[in-house]
Amino acid sequence: MTDTITFGQEISNLLHAAEGEPLKTCIQCGTCSGTCPVAGYMDNSPRQIIALINLGKKEQVLESNTFWYCASCYHCTVRCPQEINITELMYALKRYSIWKSRYQEGLIGPTFSEAFVKMIVRSGRSFEPVLAPSYIFSFKAREFMQEIQGATELLLKGRLPLLPARIKRLENFRRMIGRIIPMGGLE
Amino acid sequence: MDKKDEKEKIGVYVCHCGTNIAGVINVEEVSTWAAENLKDQGVVISREYKFMCSSLGQELIQKDIKELGLTRVVVAACSPHLHEKTFRNACKGADLNPYLCELVSIREQDSWVHTDKVAATEKAKAIISGGVSRVVYHEALEPLHVPIHPATLVVGGGIAGIQAALEIADAGFPVYLVEREPSIGGHMAQFDKTFPTLDCSACILTPKMVDAGNHPNITLLTYSEVEKVDGYVGSFVATIRKRARSLREADCTGCGICWEKCPKKVVDDVFEAGMGTRKAIYVPFPQAVPKYPVIDRVNCTYYIKGTCKACEKFCPTNCIDFAQEDEILTVEVGNVILATGWDLFDTRRITQYGYGRLPNVFTSLEFERMSNSAGPTGGNVVLRDGKTEPKVVGIVHCVGSRDKNYNEYCSSICCMQSLKFAHLVKEKTGAEVYNFYIDIRTPAKGYEEFYHRLLEEGTHFIRGKVAEISDATRLPAEEGKLVIQVEDTLTGNQLRVPVDMAILSAGLEPRHDSKALAKLFGISCSADGWLIERHPKLDPIATMTDGIYIAGCVQGPKDIPASVAQGAAAAARVMGKIQQKEIALEPVRATIHEEQCSGCRICNNMCPFNAILFHEDRMVSEVNPALCQGCGTCVAGCPAGAITGTGFSNEQILSQINGLLLLNVPKKQAVAA
Amino acid sequence: MKEFAYFPGCSLEKMASSYHMSAMETTKKLGVKLNELDDWNCCGATTYFYIDELLAYTLCARNLAIAEKTGLDVVAPCSACYKNMFFTAAHLKKDEDLAEHVNFALEEDNLHFSGNVNVKHLIEVFAQDIGPEELKRQVTNPLEGMRIAPYYGCQIVRPQKEKEDVEQPQFFEEIISAIGGIPINYPLKMRCCGGSLIISSRTAALTMVRNLLQSAVDNQAAVIATACPMCQVNLEVYQQQVNLEFGTNFSIPVMYFTQLIGLALGISHKKLGIGKEFVSMAPTPMPVDQVWGLPRKTT
Repeated sequence: MTDTITFGQEISNLLHAAEGEPLKTCIQCGTCSGTCPVAGYMDNSPRQIIALINLGKKEQVLESNTFWYCASCYHCTVRCPQEINITELMYALKRYSIWKSRYQEGLIGPTFSEAFVKMIVRSGRSFEPVLAPSYIFSFKAREFMQEIQGATELLLKGRLPLLPARIKRLENFRRMIGRIIPMGGLE
Repeated sequence: MDKKDEKEKIGVYVCHCGTNIAGVINVEEVSTWAAENLKDQGVVISREYKFMCSSLGQELIQKDIKELGLTRVVVAACSPHLHEKTFRNACKGADLNPYLCELVSIREQDSWVHTDKVAATEKAKAIISGGVSRVVYHEALEPLHVPIHPATLVVGGGIAGIQAALEIADAGFPVYLVEREPSIGGHMAQFDKTFPTLDCSACILTPKMVDAGNHPNITLLTYSEVEKVDGYVGSFVATIRKRARSLREADCTGCGICWEKCPKKVVDDVFEAGMGTRKAIYVPFPQAVPKYPVIDRVNCTYYIKGTCKACEKFCPTNCIDFAQEDEILTVEVGNVILATGWDLFDTRRITQYGYGRLPNVFTSLEFERMSNSAGPTGGNVVLRDGKTEPKVVGIVHCVGSRDKNYNEYCSSICCMQSLKFAHLVKEKTGAEVYNFYIDIRTPAKGYEEFYHRLLEEGTHFIRGKVAEISDATRLPAEEGKLVIQVEDTLTGNQLRVPVDMAILSAGLEPRHDSKALAKLFGISCSADGWLIERHPKLDPIATMTDGIYIAGCVQGPKDIPASVAQGAAAAARVMGKIQQKEIALEPVRATIHEEQCSGCRICNNMCPFNAILFHEDRMVSEVNPALCQGCGTCVAGCPAGAITGTGFSNEQILSQINGLLLLNVPKKQAVAA
Repeated sequence: MKEFAYFPGCSLEKMASSYHMSAMETTKKLGVKLNELDDWNCCGATTYFYIDELLAYTLCARNLAIAEKTGLDVVAPCSACYKNMFFTAAHLKKDEDLAEHVNFALEEDNLHFSGNVNVKHLIEVFAQDIGPEELKRQVTNPLEGMRIAPYYGCQIVRPQKEKEDVEQPQFFEEIISAIGGIPINYPLKMRCCGGSLIISSRTAALTMVRNLLQSAVDNQAAVIATACPMCQVNLEVYQQQVNLEFGTNFSIPVMYFTQLIGLALGISHKKLGIGKEFVSMAPTPMPVDQVWGLPRKTT
């Protein structure tokens, strides 16, 4: 009895909602990739990712930008003829890739997500300005300027929060999180 | 419970069934155990053998019966469903009444459902002990022989039903062919060409239709439906409603003046799949059999407003009869063949394909009618406007099939149908054709070659299940077209393919009233709605109900050759039964003990087969053995316990329970936990 | 008086404050009470599920547990908050182990979730609890033929919860008709706005927004109605950037459906948060009520 686990099994373990290994039932019909609004920007389409996982091609999967481009619109999921929850799979791959710190270079998603999570841990609420540094410096000059311009207009219209909101029972909140993830692991 | 005075001589035979039983149960141990511990019950010999059902196995039993004078036999093997008959016949062959043989299942009920070998072996001992205790109380029964009525009822006049009817009729036996529509022919009459030969569908079908219509042994009952079925194999009584055509068939010549003159046009959503119109008085298509038209009373002006009557005015033989009423017929038949066919999957359910919303999305049946030269567009492949020829056509495979959101099964014929469409479109318009598929399924004779032909013709095949058909265009090249969005899985590109026309190869579904049909005839249908065959591999045309057979798509999606084969197979089975002139019915039935009957008549109404009569003079009920099916309802329902079921008497059941609990065994074996 | 536990979500404080204002005003007028949850926390948006599933469920469970104490059903105006809480409640109800883990964490805030909370999207309150009939009855200033694009977005209907129509629902159109508007045929009404991709995969998201705006314009929409702050921001705030990126010149207002309902109910522009729009509705400044067929100011 070996204790090695296949990549496919690893991914399935990260999917809470999955029973067994649903990816095995994929017939590679391509409905998901035909539906996906962002497929054109992905290295590998969602269908290809499933094929790669089933083949155990871990490296290729982790080097791909596919799951970081998923907008979780769930359109693939509602159309899949084998009722595979493909969006949840993309979430699972994101979690795997952050856990292993393995993702394509230049992607903004991972750093942005970590910053977001830290922000919530700190105050229990979202506060946009604190997120900006996590992504804005990856932008090219033109986009950077557009983003600054946009933010300024929002500020002038009173739509940008100036002070971070906080929940009242923040200490309890932090301890609550601590029961799930040791706080050290998040910093 | 009285034990019999004279002990029976019982032989016990335990089967290995290869490793099916022996792999889990220690068969030798069980056999030895039976010989030692069931001696008091009457067991004189106990054997084990690898395959009891084989001729050698059966000969073992026969030899023992003759040499040891066995009076009872217990075989421990597979389920009675499979081999009860085998062992009963073996006993009969050795002049022992077949009903003195009991088959207990230590396979389906033991070795196949348990993994604990020790426990399974103990359980086998208990099962055999039960069988032995029971068999002591068996009686020598004689099967009831009932005559088989030589007539057959075929329900459904499509190709399968027509084939079955013709074969039985040609053999010299009478057939009632009942069809719901005004003409026989079924879906095959709607098609243009048939794959892979590209034969004209009507050309190969109509000769058979004409034969069926003219055959002296076939009574054609069209525009009719079966309403009630009573009886059982060999003597069914079917009540058929022959709907009023509103004309006297005897006088009608089929000249066609009536429908020519009829002013009321109606959208024909049955034969023309909604693509064309017919009149309120109509024949569904020119080659209809029988040739008599029918008045659609729902749409006929006379029945709505009381005016018009143009048909009556112009009919040269004066055969119109507005007051005609439905006729109710009862027919006696020996067997029934159900061949009621299929319905098309409703493609409106897949809203992202746009059928019903986007005009130039067509279903497969709509395209068949379009392509057919006798159809609403004269055989021209054109858009909904009726005139523009498409330059690019997309054909979508697997619409509503192979999809857990709709129907999980594969509809079997749509790949070939889609290839056929591709060919027809190209031939008629020279358009660019794209087939969007998941797999190309071409299993039968000439099918793969047909696919190669299509490849040579230049059809574009894109492997990808269509995600969406939309009119939301983005690029100038898409202007005014439908955009098919799909991933080409072979190259990994997401594509937007602009087409003028999209054809949806919709799946086949059971008829929407198939569950009601199954109930009417007392057979089962699956959760999907397809009727269930007796054995999926070895008996696809019989059902679990004796005397009722199924043929064609009613049993599951299939192509024309398979439907014809099934129709012929069902016919052969029926003819075999008719030739035997009588059928032996299982003597498992109920008997009412007069002395105990109080005349309460509760059982009379309980019987689902109306098999119990009441004698007014003696104030007791009596079971008619010919109609009784041995279901046991009355046995359970009688408040006085006056009814017993042969083969399931109280003594038999209670002694079997005692045997199972090993109460009659000298040394009580502790059953392993 | 129908009452609900109201979960505004982080963006309704500032970014989508007009959604919050118009939601409160319209529900009040129609006899529905929204009680803001006490000390609610961020639902995690999509991002929390990128990090840790259990943690993400816990965050939502905290809000659900707070709601459970009130005994009321939860209403969320933001599609992402709604989706997160709905499915958290569903999973916790079905999976005892998960519920055990999560409740263990909730103990630190003296909370416990037993699974007895229904979660609704704000638009469901109007579509079902109030209903188009009642809405129509209460309308005093019908929107007189204003061509409105009903933009559902993705996470209101997807993932599918029961057997409801996920490809062509009509409840948004029904609301628009009830308030006197014309719900235009909007083929991309169920397509994604890009969500957080506007940050992490900017070009992809801008393309998606562009297609949505183009479709609205192609079908002659005067305004796009949304039911999610993320969608509104992507479609409106980034409209300028779409124009710069693709050389288009979109200038179409994107309003919250509650603002449009509020107009039809005769509530003032100020109370509905109108005036904070990003997209310049006309090249020269014009009184808001004379532009794009919006009905006259009432107060």
